[in-house]
Amino acid sequence: MKSVPKLIRRYVGILLLSCVLLLVLNFVLLAVFTAEQAPNAYPWKTAEEVADALQQTDDGGYDLPDAISLELKNSDAWAIFIDNETKQVKWQTADLPETIPLSYTLSDIASLTRGYIDGYPTFTGETEDGLIVLGYPKDSFWKHMWPSWDYELIANLPKTALLVLAINAALIFLIYVVANSKLLKSIKPIVNGIQSLPMGEPVYIKEKGLLSELAMNINKTSAILQSQNNQLRRRETARANWIAGVSHDIRTPLSMVMGYAGWLRDDTHLTDDERQKAAVIVKQSQRIRNLINDLNLASKLEYNMQPIHPKKENLIAIARQVVVDFINMDFEEKHPIEWETDEALTFCPVNADRDLMKRAIGNLIQNCITHNEQGCKIYVSVAAENSSCTIAVADDGIGATDEQIEKLNNAPHYMVCDDNVSEQRHGLGLLIVKQIIAAHGGSSTIKHSAYGGFCVKITLPIQE
Amino acid sequence: MECEYLKNKRILLVDDEQELLDMVVSILKEEGFCNIGVAKNVKDALSAAAAVEPEFAILDVMLPDGNGFHLMEQLKQNGEYPILFLTACGEDEDKFKGFGLGADDYVVKPFLPKELVFRIMAILRRSYKDESSLVRLQNSEIDFDRAEAIKNGKHIPLTAKEHDILAALYRNAGRIVTIDALCEAAWGDNPFGYENSLMAHIRRIREKIEENPSRPVSLITVKGLGYKLIIGGK
Repeated sequence: MKSVPKLIRRYVGILLLSCVLLLVLNFVLLAVFTAEQAPNAYPWKTAEEVADALQQTDDGGYDLPDAISLELKNSDAWAIFIDNETKQVKWQTADLPETIPLSYTLSDIASLTRGYIDGYPTFTGETEDGLIVLGYPKDSFWKHMWPSWDYELIANLPKTALLVLAINAALIFLIYVVANSKLLKSIKPIVNGIQSLPMGEPVYIKEKGLLSELAMNINKTSAILQSQNNQLRRRETARANWIAGVSHDIRTPLSMVMGYAGWLRDDTHLTDDERQKAAVIVKQSQRIRNLINDLNLASKLEYNMQPIHPKKENLIAIARQVVVDFINMDFEEKHPIEWETDEALTFCPVNADRDLMKRAIGNLIQNCITHNEQGCKIYVSVAAENSSCTIAVADDGIGATDEQIEKLNNAPHYMVCDDNVSEQRHGLGLLIVKQIIAAHGGSSTIKHSAYGGFCVKITLPIQE
Repeated sequence: MECEYLKNKRILLVDDEQELLDMVVSILKEEGFCNIGVAKNVKDALSAAAAVEPEFAILDVMLPDGNGFHLMEQLKQNGEYPILFLTACGEDEDKFKGFGLGADDYVVKPFLPKELVFRIMAILRRSYKDESSLVRLQNSEIDFDRAEAIKNGKHIPLTAKEHDILAALYRNAGRIVTIDALCEAAWGDNPFGYENSLMAHIRRIREKIEENPSRPVSLITVKGLGYKLIIGGK
């Protein structure tokens, strides 16, 4: 949902920027245009020139140099000279229209200075004893008849201009918001819908308004995704159920194999050799039992079908119980377990599912036993540091090569790998440990043990 | 063994698989149990229960004409005795259901004969105390009914906590019981921070049952993990 305000901000930004740019452009164009028109002051200048150039001749007449006469002629202008004393026209160009009066009053002079004589725009230039008036053809100039403004208006012009600009900007923004609110309103559910799609939630958007077609497509996409998810989930459920069914059905026949073999193993009437053979059957049956237990749990954890009920537990108590269960079951005492936890550390609270956590630790100890049939010493320790609690299960057995450890840490297990795997497959014990620890928000690492064998460390966050 | 009287208890065994019935019966007979009745379905089980009034029952969950959970409820209406489930249903939910309904233990197939016998003995020991209720130790005896230890002919009373701790150890005689489990037995749920109190109680128990409390032979410490009670006389 972060992208929509960003989009709106960008839109408004572009809009305001273009408004400002447009204004600047207009000002520039206006400036250029009026600058070109600046020579329009030329009638006044020409009038001045005429006033300067007009010479009184000896015979009391007036004479205008030819160059200026020609200039007037070229612009179809006429000129008169009005005497200060008599207000009579004392000199005139030859092409003076007949409608131009030859005698003026003061008010006539004031009027012609601001405006026109008989529709001819007029311009004035002063001489020592009179006034030169140039008349240009009708409709060649437009004259501003009342060229004065309120002083305050001119003084406040910059402020006024800014205010107008601001009002304009606000107005534009308002128009934009009103115009776009409807569009935004119809975009919002679509954005929400698109955002819930990747989370796998079912999405339904009302197929109405401007973007109904888009909404329709999103609804369709959601329906397809949902049905694909359902199919996938059904298939996963079927697979997990199938594994659960098989492991259930194997249990009863295996009971009899294991039960009788166990009985024979403990039967003192049999020879040692016979009892040894029975012991092998027992051991292999136990392997099958562990395998089906693991297979079932691993598939359920993988497909998120294993219910996890976490609550505040003392991780030390859990680890201690698992260790004691193993010691109590180890009749042959081939795999003694050393409890190496600091005695001062008695409480290590974690948020965990007790049974699953017992299973994870149990798997690690079982792993040491399975891989060291000749016997080995197992070291279990719990340590707390900062905000995490670490259980280490190590042994002094055969261990593993660097390459094997690298693979166990990083390569995906065949159960959760979608490639065809041809290399040697290993048990499910460690996979289950990783799955359980991951489901609890912890981490697991496999490495060489300080005692010369194999070591797995699992770390969980401490819950205060 | 000191628990001979437990082996005379009437046991009802229900499972639909004949061969499994045969095997469990022979395992139990081998161990000395002599009153064993069997049934292959709910109907037979109910009539057998009515006839023999069992003192202990081992039930399968999946039966041809019903399920073991339901059967247990029916059996419990006619008599209060311990029940152990022996089943191929290994899911946690099934286990919780069984325990929730009041089962005393839940064993998932496949199992080792020794394991089954051990669990049965543990339940029986818990449910049916010896008439004399005396537990013999190397250098003393414990009378749980009267909550006292008898050492060299002297009767020494046990406190309530000492009794609870000893009872928890006795139920798992010969096996290690964790510090946490003992604290739970004495102080109830969430027994955090009682480790030192537990050590003090253990020391006092030793004074009552051991010849030489600093060199215990009956109540053994397993360092860092817990304690173990060794039963049996000299």
